[in-house]
Amino acid sequence: MRPYSQRRPGRDSLGPAQLPVLALLLVGFAMVAYPLFWIMMSSLKTSDEISLSMWSLPRVPQWRNYANAWKFGISGYFVNSLVVTLTTIAGVIALASLCAYGLSRFRTRWTRSALVFVMGGMMLNPQVCLIPLYGLLTRLGIRNGYLAMIIPYIAFRLPLNTLLIRSFFLAIPKEIEESAIIDGCTSFQAYGRIFMPMSRPILFTSAILIAYYAWNEFLFAIIFIDSNKYRTIPAGLMSFRDALQVDWGPLIAGMAISALPLILFFIAAQKQFIRGMTAGSVKG
Amino acid sequence: MRRNNVRAAAEPLLFIMPCILVLGAFVYYPLVQNLAFSFFRFSAFSPEKVFVGFGNYANLFLDKTVGTALRNNARYAVISVLCQVCFGLVLAAILEDRSFRRVGQLFRTTFFLPVVISISVICLLFGFIYRPMDGLLNGFLELVGLGSLARPWLGSSKTAIFATIAVSQWQSTGYVMMLFIVAIQKIPEELYEAAEIDGASKLRRFFVITLPQVREMFFVTSVITVTGSVMVFNEPYILTQGGGPGTSSITIAVHMYQSGFFKDMMGYASTLAVLIFGISAALAVLQLRSFRTGEE
Amino acid sequence: MSKRIQALLAVLVIATSIAAAQGAKTTIRFFHRWPLEPRKSYFDALVAEFERRNPDIEIEMDSVINDAYKEKIRVLVSSNDIPDVFCSWSDSFAYNLVKSGRIKPLNDLLARDKAFAASFIQSQVKPFTFDGKVYGMPQTIDGKVFAYNKAIFAKAGITKEPKDFDELLATFATLKKKGYPTPIIEGLADPWTISHYLGTMFQRYLSPAVTAKDYNEATGEFTDPGYRVVLERFQKIVDFMGPNATSITHTDARALFAAGKLPVIYIQLAEFGLIRKSNPDIQYGYFNFPAFKDGKGDPGLLTGAPEGFMLSSTSKNPEAAERFFKFIYEKQNAAQFVKAVGAPVAVIGAMTPDNSFPELIGAVELINGVEGSAPWFDNAVNIKIADAFMRGAQAVATKDKTIDQVMAEVQAAAKIVRSEAKK
Repeated sequence: MRPYSQRRPGRDSLGPAQLPVLALLLVGFAMVAYPLFWIMMSSLKTSDEISLSMWSLPRVPQWRNYANAWKFGISGYFVNSLVVTLTTIAGVIALASLCAYGLSRFRTRWTRSALVFVMGGMMLNPQVCLIPLYGLLTRLGIRNGYLAMIIPYIAFRLPLNTLLIRSFFLAIPKEIEESAIIDGCTSFQAYGRIFMPMSRPILFTSAILIAYYAWNEFLFAIIFIDSNKYRTIPAGLMSFRDALQVDWGPLIAGMAISALPLILFFIAAQKQFIRGMTAGSVKG
Repeated sequence: MRRNNVRAAAEPLLFIMPCILVLGAFVYYPLVQNLAFSFFRFSAFSPEKVFVGFGNYANLFLDKTVGTALRNNARYAVISVLCQVCFGLVLAAILEDRSFRRVGQLFRTTFFLPVVISISVICLLFGFIYRPMDGLLNGFLELVGLGSLARPWLGSSKTAIFATIAVSQWQSTGYVMMLFIVAIQKIPEELYEAAEIDGASKLRRFFVITLPQVREMFFVTSVITVTGSVMVFNEPYILTQGGGPGTSSITIAVHMYQSGFFKDMMGYASTLAVLIFGISAALAVLQLRSFRTGEE
Repeated sequence: MSKRIQALLAVLVIATSIAAAQGAKTTIRFFHRWPLEPRKSYFDALVAEFERRNPDIEIEMDSVINDAYKEKIRVLVSSNDIPDVFCSWSDSFAYNLVKSGRIKPLNDLLARDKAFAASFIQSQVKPFTFDGKVYGMPQTIDGKVFAYNKAIFAKAGITKEPKDFDELLATFATLKKKGYPTPIIEGLADPWTISHYLGTMFQRYLSPAVTAKDYNEATGEFTDPGYRVVLERFQKIVDFMGPNATSITHTDARALFAAGKLPVIYIQLAEFGLIRKSNPDIQYGYFNFPAFKDGKGDPGLLTGAPEGFMLSSTSKNPEAAERFFKFIYEKQNAAQFVKAVGAPVAVIGAMTPDNSFPELIGAVELINGVEGSAPWFDNAVNIKIADAFMRGAQAVATKDKTIDQVMAEVQAAAKIVRSEAKK
């Protein structure tokens, strides 16, 4: 069945009856698109141009704003965000898929309790654990380092992704696994050689969800990290703002640099991205 | 399997344990510890903790900021449901209408774009938009001859909270819209065809077919939106220097952060965390139920 | 285990080892509160130069801004995670850190190196001295003054600096009449700016006995009616600031002053260099906060205190830390600081007509000329009380709270502080 909107050619054109609605859509379009356009435009202006002639195009494009933003620290934040995001994706996918396999292929009293335990984790809002986590990470000696973000990110992303992967695993026919076991595969081999390769779509969906979360997480990133060396982009932009309060050009260029990777990724992989975001139905 | 029983029983555990251990150590243990902390008074600067029983809970009722914060969270929730869920549904229905098929894709992508931008970028952007003397919003109002409406949006206690809430709407309406688009695309075409033969108008088709068919998604998005409203932290933290002016735009999460990490009242902050937990857990139970029944 | 999992684990392990990586060099940790230009570049260059001269030492430098620094350094000191060299305010803020027992007394160092000890303006060492021991050395000296645009004053026909608070208000009124709707503005969105006004005004208005009792955590009650009077008078100043004050920052206000659009600003001497940087041609004068006719405090004091650096007493590399500590205060480095930052320093002879400018030389004369200094209010009292005053005055400025409500909140905060101090 094709979606409703894609069938039935004809009688689809915009008539005069639709004009008021179209006008409203265009207003909405301007409200969303203009600020984004403004960032791109202002990132190429001097600070004076930004405050004195906010609507005009840059007289001479100031590409050095980007060079300055990169030099003043965005490059470091960028690398940190990359390290934290990739490691979080790897950690969550590894732990969640293992657990999902255990939960979907073995039916014992233990696995049923474990399922409840995992689902319960979905109810928890990370803010609630902020203060004890701060103490715990300090005692473990890993506060103010990559692990101070990676470990809590992994922990709080596990429940949702375990459940997502589990539901996919449940749909894989039992016969495939059984024939593999008859061929002499251990459970680990069945997991690694059959289930994981077969589950690429859901793993990709999960990876997008996790990346979205880890790339944008703010609360833990500002509280658990003191040092500029480990700051990710969202937290780093804050100290960047403080460092450049009067020099807006590079600040806005920094904002553009931070926003671009996800925008480009979204435009390139729109279908998968939307599938991931709707599968999660959970905002960052 | 003819291996011994211990091995057979241990096998699922090998798969499940790593995940369970991480969850236990970094999600459940802090949760329990937070509950314990809420009965103490302590400082981040000393290991000493003083047991105060329900003293912190009593203070919740004396602390006027809690009321202000909860009221602001409630404003977030109401406005977000109206704007994101109700308006998002209308937007989705319009863009899925055949008349808008050709332009729908462009609008859809554009409206969704803010969702993928980091909240700190968005807050910095709105910082520029709201600047009193050279900001985009006041500049725009003057440009179109409405200069009398210009005001210090974030500096007035009457507008600060609404200016902050508007940022969330700007960011998230596209997300909810997209969820509704996915839901609408699943509605069988036959329903609309039958209604069309009966001569039902577009408006009527929306109320008779679309609305009942996306009712589950309506519920899911409402719960997500309200849950998000309980957790709001970033916007007031960044835009109004932690809920200013005064405490006029503070939210419960910002109040918790400031009590703990700024005023060094860790025990009381833990109590506020318990309050947040209570509210969000109740909402999450609703969400969890919808997660199990809904397909997506 | 599949290869995929092994690969995933490898990523985890690599990330972990990046986090834990430590070079073979001696590493010392240096923590300061100036991620902002121009000081950021100055310290970057200072550290680079030190590392060049001492190839065996590596310096791990971190910085966060003002309010965050206060919070972080106290946590680090209390959790025994203390940096080897770090900056600190003087007076009560320093004393609170010293009480942890983890700050190194410098008496030995000063006795060993007499020339180093003698290189400072001695009056500025005193705010770092507690119970006869010196715990830090001053780098910058500072004070808060009203700066005014000379051209605007001349145009408005104002010929003399106000001598008391009433004259100050009269000056603002004159400016307002002469076409400057906001004769003064402050970035009230930054809560700390409020504490600078209130601290000075409390000191001027209240008797020293009252503030001594109230600023002490164990005895503070804040019931003296004088606090209310000060809040009322602060509101009189705020009334001149217009509706935008609560939505701009201090940096915005300074930019307005430097651009010649703002007649008067309450500003730190250390900011003179920043004004000069954005507008080298601006002509301005400045004066200490005027007296209250009915004030009981000493109107001759200047609010502001030196800032400097401290050493950890638990450092693993005390010798390397000490070397860097002294390096900061070397005369040519201090002189370079004056040149790059435009703020006055406590190192004798570091300021010359070559590396500074007339307003700055005047600033040092002002500091040396006053009877004494009063500490910053947000450092002098417990943060809960400072917060109640700052947020409260912000809410009064936007007409959301009455002064009575603010005082009730301050007194409630003082009660909590007292109960915590007694345990």
